[in-house]
Amino acid sequence: MPSASELPAAPRHRLGGLFRAVAILAVAAAVLSFPSWAPNPYILSAGVVVLNYAVLSTSWNFVGGFTGYISLGHGALAGLGGYATGLLVVRAGLPSFVALAAATLLVAAFAVPVGYAALRVRGASFVIVSIALVLILLLVFQSWASFTGGSRGLVVPRPFPGLLRPEHHRVFFYLFAALLAVALLVWWLVDRSRFGLGLKAIREDEDKAESLGTPTFGYKLVVFVVSAGFTGLAGGLYALWFGDLDPVFQFSILTGSYLVLMALLGGVRQLFGPLVGALVVGIGLEYFKVEFGNTPLHLAATGLLLALVVMFMPDGVLPALGALVDRFLRPAQSSIREVTAAELRDRGSGPPEGDRPADPPASVPVGAPDGRSAEERS
Amino acid sequence: MPSGALLFQSVILGLLLGGLYALLAAGLTLYFGIMRVVMIAHSAFLILAAYLAWWSHARLGVDPLLSMVVTVPLFFGLGVLLQRLLLARLRPVTLTMMSVLLTFAIAVLIEGLLGYAFSGTQRRIQLGYGSASLGLFGARIAVVKLIAFGLAAVALLTLYLLLKRTRFGWALRATIQHPDAARLIGIDTDRIAGFGFGVGLATAAVGGTALALDTTIYPSLHWHWIGPLMAIIVVGGLGSVPGAAVAAMLLGLVQSLLQIPLGTTWAQTVFYLALFATLAFRPQGFFGGRLAQRF
Repeated sequence: MPSASELPAAPRHRLGGLFRAVAILAVAAAVLSFPSWAPNPYILSAGVVVLNYAVLSTSWNFVGGFTGYISLGHGALAGLGGYATGLLVVRAGLPSFVALAAATLLVAAFAVPVGYAALRVRGASFVIVSIALVLILLLVFQSWASFTGGSRGLVVPRPFPGLLRPEHHRVFFYLFAALLAVALLVWWLVDRSRFGLGLKAIREDEDKAESLGTPTFGYKLVVFVVSAGFTGLAGGLYALWFGDLDPVFQFSILTGSYLVLMALLGGVRQLFGPLVGALVVGIGLEYFKVEFGNTPLHLAATGLLLALVVMFMPDGVLPALGALVDRFLRPAQSSIREVTAAELRDRGSGPPEGDRPADPPASVPVGAPDGRSAEERS
Repeated sequence: MPSGALLFQSVILGLLLGGLYALLAAGLTLYFGIMRVVMIAHSAFLILAAYLAWWSHARLGVDPLLSMVVTVPLFFGLGVLLQRLLLARLRPVTLTMMSVLLTFAIAVLIEGLLGYAFSGTQRRIQLGYGSASLGLFGARIAVVKLIAFGLAAVALLTLYLLLKRTRFGWALRATIQHPDAARLIGIDTDRIAGFGFGVGLATAAVGGTALALDTTIYPSLHWHWIGPLMAIIVVGGLGSVPGAAVAAMLLGLVQSLLQIPLGTTWAQTVFYLALFATLAFRPQGFFGGRLAQRF
């Protein structure tokens, strides 16, 4: 699957690249200037929440996007990062950001044995372990009240005690934006690397990848640990920003499902997919919270939306939009095959004279070639 | 050291609980066998059935056991629809992951709708025979627990006979063992798979009624069930109903015994420890067959 960054430098694509660069710059400018045009501190704090979701679902996408293994437990890893940061500040008296770094390492280290158990077998056991992770952490952090504060919660002292609330939001908005940029950069680097190629091979066909010499287990474990590290870091930063942790919210199965929903909605194979999804779902969540408060219908709506995305748009909106654009702008090329036989011949003999029909986003939805379905039933 | 009577009582309670676990795990094993689907929503349907039993008792004044006359066929139909309309339409390449997500979404949807319809208040059925209990060698066993176990045992036995003795059961097992070969000898595997899901979900209806008899229910209760059930099917090894039953009995017993020194909350961790240990050291489970390799 060629990624967006591997486009050939044909003139048409250069135009597309330019458009893409302009779009990225525009979004980055909009994000960075947000604190100055946010009308009130509440909107700014909502922006921090949405950015937090964007970081979390981008971190999730290291595992979900590259390897195709879906984790419903990343919410718990974020909660663990938050609690580790908070406890290190409160109980060990570490400075806030030292505690944050230590907590990140702790979560990454914690992910090693979890990943070892979850990834040894391929398939559904990973999801099961990820759900179990949420349930067991909730159980432990609620019951071990003498250490974690239990259901009474844990108050984390603010790292910048002198700042007023709006200033506090502004600083953390930029911290989250920086973290998002780092996560996106790392994702992009992995996407272009040989490591990323191996991970994508695991996603497409793990048996074949293994028989071709990809160290599948090691790759999966490494990317899971990286993903957990970023998730823990985002969770820790959230703890420093929000300042009050409650096990019910930190280890909530719902957080994990929001992350999956965001990434799937945006498109797991796209660099900016989780970000787009986080913007849509995160803003939607905040809006509904303001309009309707916390009702059980939140849950129902999340479930319904997730089911709809899984059923009808498992590749996300970005590829769907790309396919739509292609259909209207380049109708002649709407072949259902990714590459026609004639083109393959051309490609063998020399550079193709015509346009290649397969702009990467368009090539995604049309049933990727696979040898897995038959095997999986046996 | 706890007294002998207390130990004996824990053993009995553990076995009774294990029976319910076994019934529910059998449903999960069935789904996995048919389609390689890990059905997260199984326990949400369990709670739904429990709510329906509670509702029929509280609002209609009917004995909760009678609610099964409606819920069992209803859940059978829902299971068939779930498989035919939703799961069968997912892409085969990503079926394992997407089906988990889809059933997860259904679980969340059910939880949300239950919370909306009945509020988050804890509910409990007040039965005339609810407080009756039997004395047995110094142990006191609540009658409702015995009824729940009896329900689970009857349902499990029915399931066993259905699979082993009827033409439908043969067709279903053929579909599980080798779908292509089953199609070749003229079995309509799509239809059979749908009915298989219906049967699986019908067990959740029975289990839910049994659960409602002696448990306080609330919408998010299903998370307390899905964790242990997942652990049971992994420890038992997928694809073997007897394996699931043995693991269910064993883990139910251990949980019940651990409740004496640790209390109810910490005793639950035994399931998760068993899950992690099994996956780390013997990922195919302890009784599993061929299917477990693909889990």
